[in-house]
Amino acid sequence: MTPTAIGILLVMLAAAIEGFGQIFLKKSTLEQVRRPVWIAAGIAVFIVQAVVYTEALRLLTVSTAFALGTLSFVSVVLLSKWLLREPVTFNRWVGVGLIVIGSSLIVASA
Amino acid sequence: MWPQARVPHRLTIGLAIAIVLDTVVQLSWKSAAAGISDAATPWATLETVLKQPMFLVVGALLLCQLANWLQVLGDADLSFAQPLTSLSRVTVCLASAIFLNEKLSLMQFGGILFVCAGVWCITRAGRESPVREAPAHEIQMREAVVR
Repeated sequence: MTPTAIGILLVMLAAAIEGFGQIFLKKSTLEQVRRPVWIAAGIAVFIVQAVVYTEALRLLTVSTAFALGTLSFVSVVLLSKWLLREPVTFNRWVGVGLIVIGSSLIVASA
Repeated sequence: MWPQARVPHRLTIGLAIAIVLDTVVQLSWKSAAAGISDAATPWATLETVLKQPMFLVVGALLLCQLANWLQVLGDADLSFAQPLTSLSRVTVCLASAIFLNEKLSLMQFGGILFVCAGVWCITRAGRESPVREAPAHEIQMREAVVR
Protein backbone atom coordinates (compact mmCIF):
# COMPACT_ATOMS: atom_id res chain seq x y z
CA MET A 1 0.00 0.00 0.00
CA THR A 2 1.37 3.42 -0.97
CA PRO A 3 1.92 6.16 1.67
CA THR A 4 -0.79 8.23 -0.03
CA ALA A 5 -3.32 5.39 0.27
CA ILE A 6 -2.43 4.94 3.96
CA GLY A 7 -2.82 8.68 4.46
CA ILE A 8 -6.27 8.62 2.83
CA LEU A 9 -7.37 5.69 5.02
CA LEU A 10 -6.13 7.50 8.14
CA VAL A 11 -8.10 10.64 7.23
CA MET A 12 -11.24 8.52 6.67
CA LEU A 13 -10.75 6.89 10.08
CA ALA A 14 -10.23 10.32 11.67
CA ALA A 15 -13.47 11.53 10.04
CA ALA A 16 -15.44 8.65 11.54
CA ILE A 17 -13.92 9.26 14.98
CA GLU A 18 -14.72 12.98 14.72
CA GLY A 19 -18.39 12.15 14.15
CA PHE A 20 -18.63 10.59 17.61
CA GLY A 21 -16.63 13.42 19.20
CA GLN A 22 -19.09 15.98 17.83
CA ILE A 23 -22.05 13.98 19.11
CA PHE A 24 -20.55 13.94 22.62
CA LEU A 25 -20.00 17.73 22.54
CA LYS A 26 -23.57 18.35 21.37
CA LYS A 27 -24.79 16.05 24.16
CA SER A 28 -22.97 18.32 26.63
CA THR A 29 -25.18 21.24 25.56
CA LEU A 30 -28.36 19.14 25.85
CA GLU A 31 -27.75 17.47 29.21
CA GLN A 32 -26.58 20.08 31.74
CA VAL A 33 -26.30 17.55 34.58
CA ARG A 34 -23.80 15.34 32.74
CA ARG A 35 -22.14 18.21 30.88
CA PRO A 36 -18.57 17.63 32.21
CA VAL A 37 -18.77 13.92 31.40
CA TRP A 38 -19.83 14.53 27.81
CA ILE A 39 -17.17 17.23 27.32
CA ALA A 40 -14.47 14.93 28.74
CA ALA A 41 -15.65 12.10 26.47
CA GLY A 42 -15.61 14.43 23.48
CA ILE A 43 -12.10 15.69 24.26
CA ALA A 44 -10.84 12.11 24.74
CA VAL A 45 -12.22 11.10 21.35
CA PHE A 46 -10.72 14.21 19.72
CA ILE A 47 -7.27 13.39 21.17
CA VAL A 48 -7.42 9.97 19.49
CA GLN A 49 -8.59 11.67 16.29
CA ALA A 50 -5.73 14.19 16.55
CA VAL A 51 -3.09 11.45 16.72
CA VAL A 52 -4.59 9.67 13.70
CA TYR A 53 -4.91 12.93 11.75
CA THR A 54 -1.34 14.02 12.59
CA GLU A 55 -0.05 10.76 11.12
CA ALA A 56 -2.15 11.40 8.00
CA LEU A 57 -0.78 14.95 7.61
CA ARG A 58 2.74 13.52 7.37
CA LEU A 59 1.69 11.54 4.30
CA LEU A 60 -0.60 14.02 2.50
CA THR A 61 -0.67 17.71 1.63
CA VAL A 62 -2.78 19.83 3.95
CA SER A 63 -5.24 20.60 1.10
CA THR A 64 -5.79 16.90 0.37
CA ALA A 65 -6.07 15.82 4.01
CA PHE A 66 -8.37 18.67 4.94
CA ALA A 67 -10.63 18.20 1.93
CA LEU A 68 -10.90 14.43 2.49
CA GLY A 69 -11.84 15.15 6.08
CA THR A 70 -15.11 16.43 4.61
CA LEU A 71 -16.39 12.89 5.04
CA SER A 72 -16.81 13.86 8.69
CA PHE A 73 -19.78 16.04 7.59
CA VAL A 74 -21.56 12.93 6.35
CA SER A 75 -20.75 10.96 9.51
CA VAL A 76 -21.85 13.88 11.73
CA VAL A 77 -25.17 14.35 9.91
CA LEU A 78 -25.87 10.60 9.96
CA LEU A 79 -25.00 10.31 13.66
CA SER A 80 -27.03 13.47 14.48
CA LYS A 81 -30.06 11.91 12.85
CA TRP A 82 -29.46 8.51 14.43
CA LEU A 83 -28.28 9.37 17.96
CA LEU A 84 -29.64 12.89 18.54
CA ARG A 85 -32.82 12.43 16.47
CA GLU A 86 -32.28 15.75 14.72
CA PRO A 87 -34.66 16.19 11.78
CA VAL A 88 -32.29 16.36 8.82
CA THR A 89 -34.18 18.15 6.05
CA PHE A 90 -33.81 17.59 2.31
CA ASN A 91 -32.00 20.94 2.01
CA ARG A 92 -29.43 19.87 4.56
CA TRP A 93 -28.72 16.66 2.65
CA VAL A 94 -28.41 18.63 -0.61
CA GLY A 95 -26.04 21.04 1.13
CA VAL A 96 -23.89 18.25 2.55
CA GLY A 97 -23.89 16.55 -0.87
CA LEU A 98 -22.67 19.73 -2.58
CA ILE A 99 -19.98 20.15 0.09
CA VAL A 100 -18.74 16.58 -0.43
CA ILE A 101 -18.72 17.02 -4.24
CA GLY A 102 -16.89 20.33 -3.89
CA SER A 103 -14.31 18.84 -1.59
CA SER A 104 -13.87 15.86 -3.93
CA LEU A 105 -13.12 18.27 -6.77
CA ILE A 106 -10.56 19.96 -4.55
CA VAL A 107 -8.98 16.57 -3.71
CA ALA A 108 -9.04 15.35 -7.35
CA SER A 109 -6.85 18.19 -8.47
CA ALA A 110 -4.68 18.49 -5.33
CA MET B 1 -38.96 27.35 -3.21
CA TRP B 2 -36.25 27.89 -0.58
CA PRO B 3 -37.55 28.81 2.86
CA GLN B 4 -36.11 31.99 4.29
CA ALA B 5 -34.04 31.23 7.37
CA ARG B 6 -32.51 33.85 9.63
CA VAL B 7 -29.31 33.07 11.47
CA PRO B 8 -28.84 35.12 14.67
CA HIS B 9 -25.80 37.44 14.83
CA ARG B 10 -24.34 35.60 17.82
CA LEU B 11 -24.41 32.32 15.90
CA THR B 12 -22.97 33.95 12.77
CA ILE B 13 -20.07 35.42 14.78
CA GLY B 14 -19.49 32.08 16.53
CA LEU B 15 -19.38 30.26 13.19
CA ALA B 16 -17.03 32.89 11.71
CA ILE B 17 -14.66 32.50 14.68
CA ALA B 18 -14.84 28.70 14.28
CA ILE B 19 -13.85 28.97 10.60
CA VAL B 20 -10.94 31.35 11.27
CA LEU B 21 -9.63 29.24 14.17
CA ASP B 22 -9.98 26.05 12.09
CA THR B 23 -7.90 27.61 9.30
CA VAL B 24 -5.14 28.76 11.68
CA VAL B 25 -5.10 25.36 13.46
CA GLN B 26 -4.79 23.42 10.19
CA LEU B 27 -1.90 25.52 8.92
CA SER B 28 -0.10 25.45 12.30
CA TRP B 29 -0.68 21.69 12.55
CA LYS B 30 0.81 21.13 9.10
CA SER B 31 3.89 23.19 10.02
CA ALA B 32 4.29 21.27 13.27
CA ALA B 33 3.79 17.85 11.60
CA ALA B 34 6.50 18.70 9.06
CA GLY B 35 9.00 18.78 11.95
CA ILE B 36 8.54 15.07 12.75
CA SER B 37 11.01 12.66 11.13
CA ASP B 38 9.64 10.05 8.67
CA ALA B 39 11.10 7.10 10.60
CA ALA B 40 9.41 8.07 13.84
CA THR B 41 7.26 5.50 15.67
CA PRO B 42 3.86 6.52 17.11
CA TRP B 43 5.46 6.86 20.59
CA ALA B 44 8.30 8.97 19.20
CA THR B 45 5.67 11.05 17.42
CA LEU B 46 3.82 11.60 20.71
CA GLU B 47 7.10 12.54 22.45
CA THR B 48 7.89 15.06 19.72
CA VAL B 49 4.36 16.42 19.86
CA LEU B 50 4.67 17.09 23.60
CA LYS B 51 8.06 18.81 23.18
CA GLN B 52 7.39 21.01 20.13
CA PRO B 53 6.27 24.56 20.95
CA MET B 54 4.19 24.68 17.76
CA PHE B 55 2.07 21.76 18.97
CA LEU B 56 1.49 23.63 22.24
CA VAL B 57 0.24 26.59 20.18
CA VAL B 58 -2.05 24.20 18.29
CA GLY B 59 -3.28 22.82 21.64
CA ALA B 60 -4.07 26.31 22.94
CA LEU B 61 -5.92 27.16 19.71
CA LEU B 62 -7.89 23.91 19.96
CA LEU B 63 -9.02 24.87 23.49
CA CYS B 64 -10.25 28.24 22.18
CA GLN B 65 -11.96 26.37 19.35
CA LEU B 66 -13.67 24.02 21.83
CA ALA B 67 -14.99 26.89 23.99
CA ASN B 68 -16.35 28.70 20.93
CA TRP B 69 -17.81 25.51 19.45
CA LEU B 70 -19.74 24.63 22.62
CA GLN B 71 -21.28 28.10 22.44
CA VAL B 72 -22.27 27.53 18.80
CA LEU B 73 -23.74 24.09 19.55
CA GLY B 74 -25.86 25.65 22.29
CA ASP B 75 -27.52 27.82 19.62
CA ALA B 76 -28.00 25.39 16.74
CA ASP B 77 -28.42 21.77 15.66
CA LEU B 78 -25.19 19.84 15.15
CA SER B 79 -26.32 18.78 11.66
CA PHE B 80 -26.73 22.50 10.82
CA ALA B 81 -23.63 24.02 12.44
CA GLN B 82 -20.99 21.42 11.63
CA PRO B 83 -21.43 21.39 7.81
CA LEU B 84 -21.15 25.20 7.81
CA THR B 85 -17.59 24.90 9.09
CA SER B 86 -16.78 23.38 5.67
CA LEU B 87 -16.07 26.99 4.65
CA SER B 88 -12.75 26.49 6.41
CA ARG B 89 -11.91 24.02 3.58
CA VAL B 90 -12.11 27.01 1.28
CA THR B 91 -10.05 29.27 3.54
CA VAL B 92 -7.43 26.53 4.16
CA CYS B 93 -7.03 25.96 0.40
CA LEU B 94 -6.58 29.68 -0.19
CA ALA B 95 -4.30 30.11 2.83
CA SER B 96 -2.13 27.08 1.96
CA ALA B 97 -1.70 28.55 -1.54
CA ILE B 98 -0.68 31.89 -0.08
CA PHE B 99 1.43 30.82 2.92
CA LEU B 100 2.63 27.27 2.04
CA ASN B 101 3.01 27.84 -1.73
CA GLU B 102 0.68 24.93 -2.59
CA LYS B 103 -0.76 25.40 -6.10
CA LEU B 104 -4.51 25.75 -6.70
CA SER B 105 -6.03 24.53 -9.99
CA LEU B 106 -9.17 25.60 -11.84
CA MET B 107 -10.90 22.41 -10.61
CA GLN B 108 -10.15 23.37 -7.03
CA PHE B 109 -11.78 26.73 -7.60
CA GLY B 110 -14.81 24.82 -8.96
CA GLY B 111 -14.79 22.74 -5.79
CA ILE B 112 -14.72 25.88 -3.70
CA LEU B 113 -17.87 27.09 -5.53
CA PHE B 114 -19.64 23.77 -4.79
CA VAL B 115 -18.73 24.04 -1.09
CA CYS B 116 -20.09 27.59 -0.97
CA ALA B 117 -23.31 26.45 -2.71
CA GLY B 118 -23.67 23.63 -0.16
CA VAL B 119 -23.28 26.04 2.74
CA TRP B 120 -25.90 28.33 1.17
CA CYS B 121 -28.36 25.40 0.90
CA ILE B 122 -27.89 24.51 4.56
CA THR B 123 -28.38 28.07 5.78
CA ARG B 124 -31.67 28.22 3.82
CA ALA B 125 -32.90 25.14 5.68
CA GLY B 126 -32.99 26.67 9.18
CA ARG B 127 -30.69 26.28 12.15
CA GLU B 128 -32.71 24.38 14.71
CA SER B 129 -35.15 21.53 15.10
CA PRO B 130 -38.70 22.93 14.78
CA VAL B 131 -39.79 21.23 17.99
CA ARG B 132 -37.23 20.29 20.60
CA GLU B 133 -38.46 18.15 23.44
CA ALA B 134 -36.69 18.89 26.74
CA PRO B 135 -34.93 15.92 28.39
CA ALA B 136 -36.88 14.31 31.25
CA HIS B 137 -34.45 15.47 33.96
CA GLU B 138 -34.70 19.09 32.75
CA ILE B 139 -38.49 18.96 32.93
CA GLN B 140 -38.23 17.58 36.48
CA MET B 141 -35.79 20.34 37.46
CA ARG B 142 -38.09 23.04 36.03
CA GLU B 143 -41.08 21.59 37.90
CA ALA B 144 -39.05 21.51 41.13
CA VAL B 145 -38.13 25.20 40.67
CA VAL B 146 -41.78 26.11 40.04
CA ARG B 147 -42.86 24.32 43.23
